[in-house]
Amino acid sequence: MTSSPPQSSVAQTGRWLGLPLAMGLVGAALCLNIAIGAKLVPLDVILTALTARDPANFSHTIIWDLRLPRALIAILVGASLSVAGALMQGVTRNPLAEPSILGLMAGASFAVVIGLGLLGLADNASIPLMAAGGALGAAGLVYLISRWVPGGATPLTLTLSGAVVTAFLGALTSVAFLLRENAFDSYRVWLSGSLAGRDMSLLLTAGPLLVIALVLSIGLARQITALAMGEAVAQALGVRTFWLKAQLLVCVVALTAGSVALAGPLGFVGLVIPHAVRLFTGADYRWIVPYAAVVGAGYLLLVDATARVLFRPAEISTGIVTALIGAPIFIYLIWRRVR
Amino acid sequence: MPMAGSARWFVLRLFGERLALRLPVPALVWLTASLVLLGAVLAYSLTTGSQPTSLEEVWRTLTGETVSRAIDNVIWEFRFPRALAAALVGAMFALSGAALQNVTRNGLADPSLVGVSQGAGLAVVALTVLWPASLAELRPFVAFAGSMLVALLIQGLTWTARGASSVRFILMGVGVAALISAGTSVLMTYGEIEKVLSVLTWLNGSINAANWDDVYMLAGWSAVLLPMLLLLSRATAALRMGEATAAALGAPVRWVRYGLITTAVGFAAIGTAVVGPLGFVGLIAPHAARRLAPSGVGLHLLLTATLGAVLVSLADLVGRSLLAPVQIPAGLLTDLIGVPIFLILLRRAARGNAL
Repeated sequence: MTSSPPQSSVAQTGRWLGLPLAMGLVGAALCLNIAIGAKLVPLDVILTALTARDPANFSHTIIWDLRLPRALIAILVGASLSVAGALMQGVTRNPLAEPSILGLMAGASFAVVIGLGLLGLADNASIPLMAAGGALGAAGLVYLISRWVPGGATPLTLTLSGAVVTAFLGALTSVAFLLRENAFDSYRVWLSGSLAGRDMSLLLTAGPLLVIALVLSIGLARQITALAMGEAVAQALGVRTFWLKAQLLVCVVALTAGSVALAGPLGFVGLVIPHAVRLFTGADYRWIVPYAAVVGAGYLLLVDATARVLFRPAEISTGIVTALIGAPIFIYLIWRRVR
Repeated sequence: MPMAGSARWFVLRLFGERLALRLPVPALVWLTASLVLLGAVLAYSLTTGSQPTSLEEVWRTLTGETVSRAIDNVIWEFRFPRALAAALVGAMFALSGAALQNVTRNGLADPSLVGVSQGAGLAVVALTVLWPASLAELRPFVAFAGSMLVALLIQGLTWTARGASSVRFILMGVGVAALISAGTSVLMTYGEIEKVLSVLTWLNGSINAANWDDVYMLAGWSAVLLPMLLLLSRATAALRMGEATAAALGAPVRWVRYGLITTAVGFAAIGTAVVGPLGFVGLIAPHAARRLAPSGVGLHLLLTATLGAVLVSLADLVGRSLLAPVQIPAGLLTDLIGVPIFLILLRRAARGNAL
């Protein structure tokens, strides 16, 4: 694509201006997410609660103890999954790549279920670690399968390996559930991808992990643009592709693992957001990655609020809503891109 | 085309040679062997369980004697209908897969992989959750409608100006299946807890609760669908070579296509309505039959059905005896067996440039 300098500088300014605007919208989504719930909290109460907390005020307690941590999880997980999806699409040069489609989430949740239910590792430090181990294992498995199939890692082989690895691990998870029914009861909701009633102390271990991985991803973004143009191009531009891929794999695994530990498997977030962001930013990962982080955070805040009010008083899992929105977009992408 | 000499043939002459069938001997041998195996698995599954029963007692019970009230009850009320249901459902899913593979000319097509089983699942869950008082006899019809809608949706989404591509078809199936599962989850969150719990075991593909009504329903529908499939199978042989060739050979391609899709969806939908989605059976059985013995379409379908019956009967037997008293649904076991086999088939398809 060629664009004349004045145009591109206009686009540049637009992108710079868009970022604070998007952040402002995330702020608005945050207020909405906090306001909505069994007890509707007015906006001015939210603002006073955030600036000057009154321990005796019931609304303030709800906000600080329940709604704000939940909203923080939504922000972190939304940003992480969207960035993970963007990185995976860049590395595999596959528009359908995403942590849940390529089986990483199934790996992470399987590892957590086994660790919690069969080995009894329930402390906050080991849950993200187990999730990371599972995600890494699943990523390696899917990669090996797609290499083993002649023709290499095409969107078809990657998606199909991801789908069958997910089916396989899902069946194993179900068997584990049947064996220890009582031990697993509390994880059923978590396994459908839910932000409700999550253990907030997990934020202390998984949160920093996600923030570090996000920062690292933004730092690597410039090189991903080169990699997305093809391995040979990237090497000609001076990118050490193997080293870059290794770093990106660590980022993707950390982002997926932290998200699964916090909110369970939330499908399709990493597919929807990067594609939506590209409509505005173009193919430059220096912009895609930060925008994906911001827009993804806002998206999950809104989805979470929707999941809470859609069938009131019953609350549906956030993961169901992300799949309901994401699967049609997946179908649309195949309809447009795969001939 | 295999000619005489490339394989040994058994020629069946009927009605004073007015009707003669030339059948390949290896396929007949395998068909007999798999029928014997099916019989053995059924016999063994009738003897195992929380109340061990000897083969002789089983035989006496089945021939009408009353050995003891307990054994009579266990065999007639639980084990026998369950074993029959497993075999029937296995055969149905296998035939559904064979028909789907023939009509899409896609070796990786399986009712659970292309969203047809999930469509039936969503329809049945909707019926159970939204109209709890509805009759169980309605289930097959609702399941059929759900699967048919999904099959048409996928066909519509797959079709392009250049015809249908198998890559698109399979990826669409993955996407539509994800969408439908999300819809099913919504209904299950929305529904009452007791209804949901009964649906949950069903969704894993479990034959635990099969009773005589289920067996009659499966057998009745098979009696309708199997002749349909066999009638269509002559044209299927031409369709295997591609639509243009088949049309040139004079096969009514479009009608055969619609007929086969309807039959495939019918088999999968009825099977799903009774025991829930059983993954990968429709993928494994037709391929195994083709590998064991190359044969004409009719014999291949019979061998496919028998192998499917053996597979699901075995899965059910292993599932209920491996970790007894815990019952692992047969669907989970077929998933675990099916995934590696799917990968091997994917590799073969990619190597043969069939994708």
